[in-house]
This record gives sequence, C-alpha cells and structure tokens, in this order.
Amino acid sequence: MIAWWQILLLTLYAGLEILDELQIYSSLNTPVGAGLIAGLIMGDLPTGLFIGASMQLMVLGVGTFGGASRIDATTGTVLATAFSTTVKGMSPQAAISSIAVPVAAIMVELDVLARFANTYFSHRIDHLIEQDKINYKAVERNVLYGAIPWSLSRAIPVFIALAFGQGLVQTIANALNGDLLWLGQGLTVAGAALPAVGFAILLRYLPVKKHVAYLILGFTITTLFSVLFTSIQSLGAGVAAVNKNFTAIFNGLPMLAIAMIGFALAILHYKNIPIGKPAGKNAEDQSEKISSSADNDEGEITDDEL
Amino acid sequence: MTNSKPKYKLTDKDFNQINRRSLFGFQLGWNYERMQNSGYLYTILPQLRKIYGDDSPELKEMMKTHMQFFNTSNFFNTIITGIDLAVEENEGIEGKDTVESMKVGLMGPFAAIGDSIFASLIPTIFGALAASMAHEGNPVGAIIWVVACLLICVFRWKQLHFAYDKGVSLVTDMRDRLNALTDSATVLGVFMVGALVATMVNIKFAWVPQIGKVSMNIQNNLDMIIPKLLPAAVVGFVYWLLGKKGMTSTKAILIVLVLCVVLGGIGVIAKI
Repeated sequence: MIAWWQILLLTLYAGLEILDELQIYSSLNTPVGAGLIAGLIMGDLPTGLFIGASMQLMVLGVGTFGGASRIDATTGTVLATAFSTTVKGMSPQAAISSIAVPVAAIMVELDVLARFANTYFSHRIDHLIEQDKINYKAVERNVLYGAIPWSLSRAIPVFIALAFGQGLVQTIANALNGDLLWLGQGLTVAGAALPAVGFAILLRYLPVKKHVAYLILGFTITTLFSVLFTSIQSLGAGVAAVNKNFTAIFNGLPMLAIAMIGFALAILHYKNIPIGKPAGKNAEDQSEKISSSADNDEGEITDDEL
Repeated sequence: MTNSKPKYKLTDKDFNQINRRSLFGFQLGWNYERMQNSGYLYTILPQLRKIYGDDSPELKEMMKTHMQFFNTSNFFNTIITGIDLAVEENEGIEGKDTVESMKVGLMGPFAAIGDSIFASLIPTIFGALAASMAHEGNPVGAIIWVVACLLICVFRWKQLHFAYDKGVSLVTDMRDRLNALTDSATVLGVFMVGALVATMVNIKFAWVPQIGKVSMNIQNNLDMIIPKLLPAAVVGFVYWLLGKKGMTSTKAILIVLVLCVVLGGIGVIAKI
C-alpha cells in the first residue's frame, strides 16, 4: 500500500519537477532525479534509481527541440517506482515497460494541453497592454500564472493514478505472474532493451559520420573491459565460495573511468581545432582574410597539401 | 533629439533582478502561439519601466514589441536580453527596429547552440554517468549532475552583464570558441554512447536451437566474434528505423517495446 503522505509527496514532486525543468533545471527533474526522489519517498532507493536510470537512458537523445513536446519519462518513473515498490510481483523491469513507458507516452498529450492553456494568459497580457493605464502588476501576474497549467498537467494525473490505480496495477501484476507469464517475461526483456532506443535517437542528433571512430573506440574499449571485469567478478565469487580465506572484493567496471578516456579524447580534439584562424572566422570576413593569408603564407599551404 | 533619449543607467541591482526573473520566470508563460513572448517581457519589464517611465507611449510601444513571437534556448536568453538593453538604454524608442531585428536574428542561432549543448550534450554526458551509477543503486552520479547544473546556473547568471558590456560583437567573438567546444563535446558524447551500448543494453540470445543431437549456443558463438553484438545490432536497427519517413521517437520506443515483448515472450532473447 502507498501511504497517503507518500501520495502527497509524489504529487507535490510531480507538480514541481516540470517547473524546475522550465526554470533553473537542477536535473532533479530528469528521470534519474525522479528515481532518486521517488525512491527516497518510497523507502526503496535502489529500485527508484534502477527505474530512473533505465528511463534516463531510454530518453537520452530526446531533448526539447524547438519547444516540441516529448515523451515524459519523469512522470513515468515516478509512477513505476511507486507501484513497483508497493505492488507484489511487479519487478522493476516489468514496471518500466508496463507502467513507465505507457504513462510517459500518454503524458505527451497533457503537455500539449498545458502549452495551449498558456495561450490564454498571453492574450490577457495583450489586452492589459492595450489599456490606457497599464496595470503592470497584473501583466507580471499573468506571466506567473502560466506555472499553474504546467504544474497541474503533471500533478493531477500522478495523484489520480496513485490514489485510485493500485487495485488495477495489482490485477495487472497478478496476471503477468499467472496466466500471462510469457507477457511478463517479454515485458521484462523490453525493460532491459529500451535504453537502446535512447542511444539510437541520440546518434541521430550527433554527427556520427564525422566522429564514427570515437563511437567504435567507446564501444570496443568498454566491451572488452566489461567482459574482463564481469569475468573476474564471477571468478572471485567462485573462489570465495570454495575457499573461506579468499576475501578480496572485485568491483564492477567503473563508468567514470571510461568517461575519463572519452574526456581525454575530447580535449585532444579541442586542441586540434584552430580558433581565431581564418578558417574558423565568420562568413563575412572569411573571404578577405583567406585571400590575405593566402598571400602571406603561400609556401606553408602548399607544404600542407603535399 | 537628445530629450527623447532615456537617461536611466542600469545598475547591478537591475541585473540581479533580470537574472532572478530569467531563472525563475522566463519559461512559465510558454505557449503555442508566441512561445516565450510573455517570459521575455517579464524578465525586463521593471527595467523598461525605468528606462521609458510609467504610462509613457514609448513604454506601451516597447511592451507590445516584446510581446511578439520569441523562442530561444533558456540557457542563452539573457545574452539577447543584455544586448537588447544596451541598445534600448542608449537609443530608447529609436532603437526599436534594431532591437526587433536583433532579437529575431539571434534567437534562432542561440536556440540551435543551446539545444545542442544543454538539451542534448550535457544530458548525454552527465545523464549517462548518473544512469550507469544509478543502475547499480548508486546515487552519486545523480548528485554530480545536480552540482554540474548549479554551476551552469552561475554561468547563466554571469552572461547577462557580459553581453550587456560587449554588445553584438560578443556573438561574433564567441561563435568560433562555442563551435569548437560543441564539436569537442560531441566527441565525448559519441564516445559515451559507444560505451553505453556496451554496458546498458542488457539482453542476450536465449534461444538454443537443436540441430540433430547438437545444440547450438548462439550467444556463445556471438561472444567469440565480439561481445555485446546483440545490443549493438539493436541500436543499429533503431537507428535505421528512425531514418524512416514519419517515424518519431515515441513511435520507435513503442515498436521496440512490442518487438521485445514478443521475442522475449517466446524465449528468443532474454535479460542478462
């Protein structure tokens, strides 16, 4: 059961996270932040973080480009965490694909609704400016009122789902572990595979063709190390089971270390980009600079071309 | 002529107020019709009132001007605000055309740079780090991201005054460096995606077909070629899928969901 104060706190978080995203962007509005907070509220941090992490990876490349609505993985994470920690037989993976993803997809519509609602306040400001004596405080108030549709568009669905959805989710969970066991299995697999979509979307936005070497490097280095680390871990566990004196602990592959390799490559790349040289200048003075520099160091250019 | 020009000079207090309003109010009024129009007006309204004086026709005119369509990155909007106020402070209502064309001219480029850095690259790099740690139940990565975001807020706070001092020349000066930075950050981004494909897509072949009396372990055979080939193939498939006409990210997510449910349900692939 979800306690009433948990419902209240999660609703409050849902209403505030979207404002955070619009305002200071503290990253607590992201799926991984939602997992952290929902996990803390529900008293099961690992489950919250796991669901948040999977959803984060799924939407990695889905930014808000030009103000378009996007799949709302944050709200999905909140609900999936709440139900996965309280409903019997709802594993985190199954919660990701049976709760988090559908919720996230439906929430897009409510985001659209909020953006439409704010048009009303914009028109009211137009009207206020037309007055002979402008009420400046009212103009400012009508900008800030915009927070209300934004906030409610998240808080209301979360509240309704948490307050009235538990029975339904329990029924789903029972079915997935009973008659529909195959479906439950499939949903679990889907939960594990969904991050792949996020990576593919991201690759669509990044200049992959230009930087494909780094993609291959990142994949290969990490694959080799992850196999190495996992093998050593299972070896260690095996030896420890046989020999009680064996107490060495082997950790998993630290991703920060992998990120450091990538960071080093990025620094090298940055240092190789000429800044302030003719080639990098803006279009207007590019042509004349190039022509003048071509006169000056003509010999050098021909050297380079050889 | 000189009489029509405003005499107000912006103070540090004004800059702080604009920054506060930008951080906490700029996007609240976001709407489909003119997007960040009311937010832009909101951030500079107190300063406009000081420059033109309450109830002056100039103020009304400029308020209407600033209620026009506006949309840019909310991480860079105060750069445009800074340049705008430098013009309005010096030229007053005569600078209206300059301000209008400057706003229209700069909002697109800054939206593009801002989106690629702050909506795509930063979330990729820090999100990947936070997620890969959180996957193991470790909240440290998520906290690192919060700290990074607060540092970005400092940067957002500083840029207003900077832009106000430098004016339009700032944009041309900054373009090279920003482009180089973005390009290098994409190197890290692309590298991290490669690393994530290798660690975060946790599926494998579970199907062991029997050929006569020999059972064939597909996953084991694939591992001998290169480990994690299936995750790489799935990412490649979705990448190809996204290139199709009319495909959206939400549709792609749902397609993968259904495919995995079916293939996982009949036991061809399984979670690691």
